Amino acid sequence: MVRLITHNLLACHVKGCTTNNFPLVFQDVQVELQVAEFNPDFIRNMLSRLEWTALVNAAKQVGDTSLPPEQPDMMDDELLQKLHHVLMEIHVTDGAMVCQNCNHIYPISNGIPNMLLAEHEIG
Amino acid sequence: MKPVKSVTIIDDPQAHEDQHVHAVYDQIASHFSSTRYKPWPIIAKFLSDLPTGWIGLDSGTGNGKYLPLPADRPGSVLTIGLDRSRNLLQIAQHAGSEPGCLITREVVWGDVLGSGWRSGVFDYAISIATIHHLASHDRRKLAVQRLLQAVSPVHGRMMIYVWAIEQDELSKRSIPASGTDGSNHYPITGEDVFVPWVMSQSQHTAKGKFKNDVPSSATSKEVASAVPTLVAETPVYNRYYHMFAKGELKQLTVQAAKEFGLMVGSPESANAKGCRGVEVMQEGWERSNYYVELRRWVS
Repeated sequence: MVRLITHNLLACHVKGCTTNNFPLVFQDVQVELQVAEFNPDFIRNMLSRLEWTALVNAAKQVGDTSLPPEQPDMMDDELLQKLHHVLMEIHVTDGAMVCQNCNHIYPISNGIPNMLLAEHEIG
Repeated sequence: MKPVKSVTIIDDPQAHEDQHVHAVYDQIASHFSSTRYKPWPIIAKFLSDLPTGWIGLDSGTGNGKYLPLPADRPGSVLTIGLDRSRNLLQIAQHAGSEPGCLITREVVWGDVLGSGWRSGVFDYAISIATIHHLASHDRRKLAVQRLLQAVSPVHGRMMIYVWAIEQDELSKRSIPASGTDGSNHYPITGEDVFVPWVMSQSQHTAKGKFKNDVPSSATSKEVASAVPTLVAETPVYNRYYHMFAKGELKQLTVQAAKEFGLMVGSPESANAKGCRGVEVMQEGWERSNYYVELRRWVS
Protein backbone atom coordinates (compact mmCIF):
# COMPACT_ATOMS: atom_id res chain seq x y z
CA MET A 1 0.00 0.00 0.00
CA VAL A 2 1.11 3.53 -0.45
CA ARG A 3 0.53 5.34 2.78
CA LEU A 4 1.59 8.94 3.11
CA ILE A 5 4.49 7.91 5.34
CA THR A 6 5.95 5.98 2.39
CA HIS A 7 5.07 8.70 -0.11
CA ASN A 8 7.06 11.16 2.00
CA LEU A 9 10.23 9.05 1.49
CA LEU A 10 9.91 8.36 -2.24
CA ALA A 11 11.70 10.49 -4.83
CA CYS A 12 11.98 10.31 -8.60
CA HIS A 13 15.13 8.45 -9.68
CA VAL A 14 15.05 8.81 -13.44
CA LYS A 15 18.51 9.43 -14.89
CA GLY A 16 19.44 13.10 -14.52
CA CYS A 17 16.35 13.98 -12.48
CA THR A 18 18.04 15.26 -9.33
CA THR A 19 16.33 18.56 -8.48
CA ASN A 20 12.69 19.13 -7.62
CA ASN A 21 12.27 15.33 -7.81
CA PHE A 22 10.45 15.26 -4.47
CA PRO A 23 7.62 15.11 -3.56
CA LEU A 24 5.85 13.09 -6.22
CA VAL A 25 2.34 14.34 -6.91
CA PHE A 26 -0.61 11.98 -6.53
CA GLN A 27 -2.85 11.68 -9.57
CA ASP A 28 -6.26 9.98 -10.03
CA VAL A 29 -5.99 8.20 -6.72
CA GLN A 30 -8.36 5.75 -5.11
CA VAL A 31 -8.15 5.74 -1.35
CA GLU A 32 -9.07 3.16 1.27
CA LEU A 33 -9.20 3.77 5.02
CA GLN A 34 -7.95 1.04 7.36
CA VAL A 35 -7.91 1.42 11.11
CA ALA A 36 -4.42 0.99 12.58
CA GLU A 37 -3.30 0.77 16.18
CA PHE A 38 -2.26 4.19 17.51
CA ASN A 39 1.34 4.31 18.73
CA PRO A 40 2.02 7.91 19.87
CA ASP A 41 5.70 7.23 20.62
CA PHE A 42 6.24 5.94 17.10
CA ILE A 43 4.60 9.01 15.54
CA ARG A 44 6.43 11.47 17.81
CA ASN A 45 9.88 9.95 17.25
CA MET A 46 9.42 9.35 13.54
CA LEU A 47 8.25 12.86 12.70
CA SER A 48 11.69 14.43 12.22
CA ARG A 49 12.21 12.21 9.14
CA LEU A 50 9.28 13.75 7.32
CA GLU A 51 9.00 16.85 5.17
CA TRP A 52 6.01 18.63 6.68
CA THR A 53 4.89 20.71 3.69
CA ALA A 54 5.11 17.68 1.39
CA LEU A 55 2.99 15.75 3.86
CA VAL A 56 0.33 18.47 4.15
CA ASN A 57 0.08 18.77 0.37
CA ALA A 58 -0.04 15.00 -0.16
CA ALA A 59 -2.81 14.76 2.43
CA LYS A 60 -4.79 17.40 0.51
CA GLN A 61 -4.28 15.43 -2.71
CA VAL A 62 -5.94 12.42 -1.10
CA GLY A 63 -8.73 14.50 0.40
CA ASP A 64 -7.54 15.17 3.96
CA THR A 65 -7.15 18.76 5.15
CA SER A 66 -6.77 18.12 8.90
CA LEU A 67 -3.10 19.14 9.21
CA PRO A 68 -1.96 22.74 9.84
CA PRO A 69 0.18 24.26 7.04
CA GLU A 70 3.11 24.89 9.43
CA GLN A 71 4.52 22.21 11.71
CA PRO A 72 3.49 23.15 15.27
CA ASP A 73 6.21 23.26 17.90
CA MET A 74 4.08 21.40 20.41
CA MET A 75 2.91 17.90 19.63
CA ASP A 76 -0.25 17.45 21.64
CA ASP A 77 -2.27 14.26 21.63
CA GLU A 78 -4.86 15.63 19.25
CA LEU A 79 -2.24 16.43 16.64
CA LEU A 80 -0.54 13.05 17.10
CA GLN A 81 -3.92 11.39 16.49
CA LYS A 82 -4.40 13.41 13.31
CA LEU A 83 -0.90 12.51 12.13
CA HIS A 84 -1.54 8.87 12.92
CA HIS A 85 -4.64 8.95 10.77
CA VAL A 86 -2.97 10.76 7.87
CA LEU A 87 0.23 8.69 7.92
CA MET A 88 -0.97 5.24 8.90
CA GLU A 89 -4.66 4.86 8.01
CA ILE A 90 -5.05 6.38 4.55
CA HIS A 91 -4.03 3.85 1.90
CA VAL A 92 -3.72 4.81 -1.74
CA THR A 93 -4.72 1.67 -3.59
CA ASP A 94 -4.70 2.83 -7.20
CA GLY A 95 -3.63 5.81 -9.26
CA ALA A 96 -0.21 7.27 -9.89
CA MET A 97 2.56 9.46 -8.54
CA VAL A 98 4.03 11.98 -10.96
CA CYS A 99 7.41 13.73 -10.81
CA GLN A 100 7.02 17.50 -10.98
CA ASN A 101 10.42 17.84 -12.60
CA CYS A 102 10.53 15.23 -15.37
CA ASN A 103 6.85 14.18 -15.45
CA HIS A 104 7.72 10.52 -15.02
CA ILE A 105 4.62 8.58 -13.94
CA TYR A 106 4.93 5.93 -11.23
CA PRO A 107 1.74 3.86 -11.36
CA ILE A 108 0.07 2.43 -8.27
CA SER A 109 -2.11 -0.65 -8.65
CA ASN A 110 -3.59 -2.92 -6.00
CA GLY A 111 -1.74 -0.87 -3.41
CA ILE A 112 1.69 -1.49 -4.92
CA PRO A 113 3.62 1.46 -6.36
CA ASN A 114 5.79 0.68 -9.36
CA MET A 115 9.18 2.39 -8.96
CA LEU A 116 10.86 0.31 -11.68
CA LEU A 117 12.44 2.28 -14.51
CA ALA A 118 12.99 1.40 -18.16
CA GLU A 119 16.59 0.62 -19.03
CA HIS A 120 17.26 4.01 -20.66
CA GLU A 121 15.91 5.84 -17.59
CA ILE A 122 18.25 4.19 -15.08
CA GLY A 123 20.90 6.55 -13.72
CA MET B 1 20.98 -33.57 -1.26
CA LYS B 2 20.09 -31.42 -4.19
CA PRO B 3 23.31 -30.51 -5.96
CA VAL B 4 23.77 -27.02 -7.30
CA LYS B 5 25.33 -26.54 -10.71
CA SER B 6 28.20 -24.27 -11.64
CA VAL B 7 27.35 -21.68 -14.24
CA THR B 8 29.26 -19.20 -16.34
CA ILE B 9 27.51 -15.93 -17.05
CA ILE B 10 27.97 -15.19 -20.72
CA ASP B 11 25.03 -12.90 -21.35
CA ASP B 12 24.44 -9.39 -20.00
CA PRO B 13 24.16 -9.48 -16.17
CA GLN B 14 20.82 -7.65 -16.26
CA ALA B 15 19.39 -10.07 -18.83
CA HIS B 16 20.79 -12.97 -16.83
CA GLU B 17 19.03 -11.76 -13.68
CA ASP B 18 15.77 -11.09 -15.54
CA GLN B 19 15.72 -14.66 -16.73
CA HIS B 20 17.26 -16.63 -13.89
CA VAL B 21 16.11 -14.59 -10.88
CA HIS B 22 13.14 -12.29 -11.51
CA ALA B 23 11.14 -14.58 -13.78
CA VAL B 24 11.81 -17.55 -11.52
CA TYR B 25 10.63 -15.84 -8.34
CA ASP B 26 7.46 -14.63 -10.03
CA GLN B 27 6.74 -18.26 -10.99
CA ILE B 28 7.56 -19.88 -7.66
CA ALA B 29 6.39 -17.04 -5.38
CA SER B 30 3.64 -18.86 -3.55
CA HIS B 31 5.52 -22.14 -3.04
CA PHE B 32 8.72 -20.28 -2.11
CA SER B 33 6.89 -18.16 0.43
CA SER B 34 5.35 -21.19 2.13
CA THR B 35 8.88 -22.37 2.94
CA ARG B 36 10.20 -19.02 4.19
CA TYR B 37 8.56 -18.01 7.42
CA LYS B 38 11.17 -18.21 10.15
CA PRO B 39 13.20 -15.07 10.82
CA TRP B 40 16.90 -15.61 11.38
CA PRO B 41 17.88 -14.81 14.99
CA ILE B 42 20.66 -12.30 14.28
CA ILE B 43 18.35 -10.26 12.04
CA ALA B 44 15.51 -10.48 14.56
CA LYS B 45 17.92 -9.16 17.21
CA PHE B 46 19.07 -6.34 14.91
CA LEU B 47 15.45 -5.24 14.39
CA SER B 48 14.62 -5.70 18.06
CA ASP B 49 17.43 -3.32 19.09
CA LEU B 50 16.11 -0.40 16.99
CA PRO B 51 14.76 2.67 18.81
CA THR B 52 11.02 3.38 18.56
CA GLY B 53 10.08 5.62 15.66
CA TRP B 54 12.79 4.43 13.27
CA ILE B 55 11.97 3.83 9.61
CA GLY B 56 13.78 1.24 7.51
CA LEU B 57 14.11 -0.35 4.12
CA ASP B 58 14.06 -4.10 3.47
CA SER B 59 15.80 -4.25 0.11
CA GLY B 60 14.78 -7.55 -1.50
CA THR B 61 12.00 -8.25 0.97
CA GLY B 62 10.73 -11.41 -0.75
CA ASN B 63 7.64 -12.58 1.10
CA GLY B 64 8.13 -9.84 3.68
CA LYS B 65 8.91 -12.07 6.64
CA TYR B 66 10.91 -9.32 8.36
CA LEU B 67 8.28 -6.60 7.91
CA PRO B 68 6.24 -7.51 11.04
CA LEU B 69 9.30 -7.49 13.34
CA PRO B 70 10.27 -6.82 16.08
CA ALA B 71 7.87 -9.40 17.49
CA ASP B 72 8.08 -8.05 21.05
CA ARG B 73 7.29 -4.44 20.02
CA PRO B 74 5.14 -4.60 16.87
CA GLY B 75 4.57 -1.18 15.32
CA SER B 76 7.51 0.45 17.14
CA VAL B 77 9.41 0.76 13.86
CA LEU B 78 8.26 0.75 10.24
CA THR B 79 10.04 -1.39 7.68
CA ILE B 80 9.18 -0.79 4.01
CA GLY B 81 9.66 -3.80 1.75
CA LEU B 82 11.15 -3.46 -1.73
CA ASP B 83 11.28 -6.29 -4.24
CA ARG B 84 11.57 -6.96 -7.92
CA SER B 85 8.99 -9.77 -7.90
CA ARG B 86 5.46 -8.46 -7.92
CA ASN B 87 4.05 -11.86 -7.03
CA LEU B 88 6.20 -12.00 -3.91
CA LEU B 89 5.17 -8.44 -3.02
CA GLN B 90 1.52 -9.43 -3.09
CA ILE B 91 2.36 -11.92 -0.36
CA ALA B 92 4.62 -9.45 1.50
CA GLN B 93 1.80 -6.90 1.50
CA HIS B 94 0.03 -8.96 4.15
CA ALA B 95 3.01 -10.55 5.90
CA GLY B 96 2.29 -11.61 9.46
CA SER B 97 -1.50 -11.39 9.10
CA GLU B 98 -3.64 -13.82 11.03
CA PRO B 99 -6.79 -15.29 9.49
CA GLY B 100 -9.57 -12.77 9.99
CA CYS B 101 -7.18 -9.97 10.80
CA LEU B 102 -5.55 -8.60 7.70
CA ILE B 103 -2.56 -6.35 8.37
CA THR B 104 -1.27 -4.24 5.52
CA ARG B 105 2.48 -3.72 5.07
CA GLU B 106 4.21 -1.04 3.06
CA VAL B 107 5.71 -2.56 -0.08
CA VAL B 108 7.27 -1.04 -3.18
CA TRP B 109 7.91 -2.69 -6.54
CA GLY B 110 11.44 -1.77 -7.49
CA ASP B 111 15.00 -2.80 -8.13
CA VAL B 112 17.65 -2.97 -5.41
CA LEU B 113 19.94 -1.06 -7.80
CA GLY B 114 17.42 1.77 -8.04
CA SER B 115 17.39 4.75 -5.71
CA GLY B 116 13.81 5.95 -5.59
CA TRP B 117 14.18 7.46 -2.11
CA ARG B 118 15.29 10.72 -0.62
CA SER B 119 18.97 10.19 0.21
CA GLY B 120 19.69 9.26 3.81
CA VAL B 121 16.04 9.20 4.77
CA PHE B 122 16.05 5.75 6.36
CA ASP B 123 17.33 4.96 9.83
CA TYR B 124 18.19 1.40 8.87
CA ALA B 125 18.28 -0.92 5.90
CA ILE B 126 18.41 -4.68 5.67
CA SER B 127 19.22 -6.77 2.64
CA ILE B 128 18.68 -10.42 3.35
CA ALA B 129 19.45 -13.13 0.79
CA THR B 130 19.25 -10.68 -2.08
CA ILE B 131 22.61 -9.33 -3.20
CA HIS B 132 23.73 -12.87 -4.09
CA HIS B 133 21.22 -12.79 -6.96
CA LEU B 134 23.12 -10.02 -8.74
CA ALA B 135 25.24 -11.34 -11.58
CA SER B 136 28.40 -9.24 -11.43
CA HIS B 137 30.77 -7.87 -8.80
CA ASP B 138 30.02 -4.29 -9.88
CA ARG B 139 26.28 -4.79 -9.52
CA ARG B 140 26.70 -6.35 -6.06
CA LYS B 141 28.90 -3.40 -5.07
CA LEU B 142 26.31 -0.93 -6.36
CA ALA B 143 23.61 -2.72 -4.33
CA VAL B 144 25.68 -2.13 -1.16
CA GLN B 145 26.18 1.52 -2.14
CA ARG B 146 22.42 1.93 -2.58
CA LEU B 147 22.01 0.79 1.04
CA LEU B 148 24.72 3.19 2.23
CA GLN B 149 22.98 5.97 0.30
CA ALA B 150 19.51 5.14 1.65
CA VAL B 151 20.38 5.42 5.34
CA SER B 152 21.15 8.38 7.56
CA PRO B 153 24.80 9.51 7.25
CA VAL B 154 24.76 10.16 11.01
CA HIS B 155 23.33 6.96 12.47
CA GLY B 156 22.21 4.64 9.64
CA ARG B 157 22.41 0.94 10.44
CA MET B 158 22.65 -1.82 7.87
CA MET B 159 22.49 -5.61 7.92
CA ILE B 160 23.41 -7.68 4.87
CA TYR B 161 23.05 -11.46 4.46
CA VAL B 162 24.27 -13.48 1.51
CA TRP B 163 24.66 -17.15 0.75
CA ALA B 164 27.96 -18.74 1.59
CA ILE B 165 29.85 -21.37 -0.36
CA GLU B 166 30.47 -22.94 3.03
CA GLN B 167 27.17 -24.70 3.72
CA ASP B 168 26.34 -26.26 7.06
CA GLU B 169 25.59 -29.94 7.56
CA LEU B 170 21.86 -29.33 7.79
CA SER B 171 21.78 -27.66 4.40
CA LYS B 172 19.77 -29.39 1.73
CA ARG B 173 22.36 -28.53 -0.85
CA SER B 174 25.81 -29.67 -1.79
CA ILE B 175 28.15 -27.29 -3.50
CA PRO B 176 30.60 -28.38 -6.15
CA ALA B 177 34.19 -27.49 -5.35
CA SER B 178 36.03 -25.59 -8.00
CA GLY B 179 38.89 -27.01 -9.96
CA THR B 180 39.23 -30.24 -11.83
CA ASP B 181 41.90 -31.70 -9.61
CA GLY B 182 39.32 -32.70 -7.02
CA SER B 183 40.79 -30.37 -4.45
CA ASN B 184 38.28 -28.92 -2.04
CA HIS B 185 39.10 -25.24 -1.94
CA TYR B 186 36.95 -22.36 -3.08
CA PRO B 187 37.98 -19.18 -4.87
CA ILE B 188 37.89 -15.89 -2.95
CA THR B 189 35.75 -14.57 -5.78
CA GLY B 190 32.88 -16.85 -4.89
CA GLU B 191 31.05 -19.24 -7.17
CA ASP B 192 28.26 -18.64 -9.70
CA VAL B 193 25.67 -21.40 -9.56
CA PHE B 194 22.15 -22.43 -10.43
CA VAL B 195 20.14 -23.73 -7.50
CA PRO B 196 17.18 -25.85 -8.50
CA TRP B 197 13.75 -25.09 -7.09
CA VAL B 198 11.50 -28.14 -7.32
CA MET B 199 7.82 -27.30 -7.29
CA SER B 200 5.78 -29.74 -5.27
CA GLN B 201 2.86 -31.29 -7.14
CA SER B 202 0.24 -29.44 -5.13
CA GLN B 203 1.83 -26.10 -5.95
CA HIS B 204 2.19 -26.90 -9.58
CA THR B 205 -0.93 -26.01 -11.54
CA ALA B 206 0.37 -24.47 -14.72
CA LYS B 207 1.91 -27.53 -16.31
CA GLY B 208 2.45 -27.42 -20.02
CA LYS B 209 1.72 -23.73 -20.25
CA PHE B 210 5.21 -22.31 -20.37
CA LYS B 211 5.38 -20.35 -23.55
CA ASN B 212 9.04 -19.44 -23.87
CA ASP B 213 11.53 -21.59 -25.62
CA VAL B 214 14.82 -22.54 -24.09
CA PRO B 215 16.94 -19.44 -24.64
CA SER B 216 19.79 -19.39 -27.11
CA SER B 217 21.92 -17.66 -24.48
CA ALA B 218 21.90 -20.67 -22.21
CA THR B 219 25.26 -21.26 -20.63
CA SER B 220 27.79 -23.69 -21.82
CA LYS B 221 27.63 -25.80 -18.71
CA GLU B 222 23.93 -26.01 -18.18
CA VAL B 223 20.75 -25.27 -20.05
CA ALA B 224 18.62 -23.65 -17.42
CA SER B 225 16.21 -20.79 -17.23
CA ALA B 226 12.88 -19.63 -15.95
CA VAL B 227 11.47 -22.22 -18.28
CA PRO B 228 11.23 -25.24 -16.05
CA THR B 229 12.71 -28.57 -16.93
CA LEU B 230 9.86 -31.03 -16.69
CA VAL B 231 10.87 -34.01 -14.62
CA ALA B 232 7.99 -36.42 -14.32
CA GLU B 233 5.56 -33.50 -14.50
CA THR B 234 7.29 -31.68 -11.65
CA PRO B 235 8.81 -28.45 -12.86
CA VAL B 236 12.29 -27.52 -11.70
CA TYR B 237 13.28 -23.87 -11.80
CA ASN B 238 16.93 -22.92 -11.72
CA ARG B 239 17.69 -19.80 -9.72
CA TYR B 240 20.95 -17.96 -10.20
CA TYR B 241 23.11 -17.34 -7.12
CA HIS B 242 26.52 -15.91 -6.57
CA MET B 243 27.71 -17.88 -3.56
CA PHE B 244 30.09 -15.82 -1.47
CA ALA B 245 33.52 -17.02 -0.45
CA LYS B 246 34.94 -16.47 3.01
CA GLY B 247 35.91 -12.81 3.41
CA GLU B 248 34.24 -11.76 0.18
CA LEU B 249 31.24 -9.98 1.74
CA LYS B 250 33.39 -7.82 3.98
CA GLN B 251 35.74 -7.07 1.11
CA LEU B 252 32.74 -6.06 -1.03
CA THR B 253 31.25 -3.77 1.60
CA VAL B 254 34.58 -2.11 2.42
CA GLN B 255 35.24 -1.47 -1.27
CA ALA B 256 31.68 -0.19 -1.78
CA ALA B 257 32.00 2.18 1.18
CA LYS B 258 35.43 3.53 0.17
CA GLU B 259 34.35 4.17 -3.40
CA PHE B 260 31.25 5.86 -1.99
CA GLY B 261 33.60 8.30 -0.23
CA LEU B 262 33.36 6.89 3.28
CA MET B 263 36.10 6.06 5.75
CA VAL B 264 35.95 2.51 7.05
CA GLY B 265 36.54 2.08 10.77
CA SER B 266 35.32 3.43 14.08
CA PRO B 267 34.35 7.12 14.46
CA GLU B 268 37.41 7.49 16.73
CA SER B 269 39.67 6.66 13.80
CA ALA B 270 38.73 9.91 12.06
CA ASN B 271 41.46 12.54 12.35
CA ALA B 272 39.22 15.54 11.76
CA LYS B 273 35.73 16.74 12.55
CA GLY B 274 33.02 16.26 9.95
CA CYS B 275 34.48 13.11 8.36
CA ARG B 276 31.98 10.58 7.09
CA GLY B 277 32.48 6.92 7.67
CA VAL B 278 31.06 3.50 8.25
CA GLU B 279 31.95 0.97 10.91
CA VAL B 280 31.70 -2.80 10.65
CA MET B 281 29.81 -3.70 13.85
CA GLN B 282 29.86 -7.44 13.38
CA GLU B 283 30.41 -10.02 10.69
CA GLY B 284 30.23 -13.74 10.57
CA TRP B 285 28.81 -16.94 9.20
CA GLU B 286 25.45 -18.28 10.29
CA ARG B 287 23.55 -21.22 8.87
CA SER B 288 25.19 -21.26 5.46
CA ASN B 289 25.18 -17.46 5.15
CA TYR B 290 27.68 -14.68 5.59
CA TYR B 291 26.45 -11.52 7.25
CA VAL B 292 27.79 -8.10 8.02
CA GLU B 293 26.35 -5.30 10.14
CA LEU B 294 27.39 -1.72 9.38
CA ARG B 295 26.82 1.68 10.93
CA ARG B 296 27.33 5.06 9.33
CA TRP B 297 28.83 7.92 11.35
CA VAL B 298 29.94 11.51 11.11
CA SER B 299 32.86 12.54 13.32
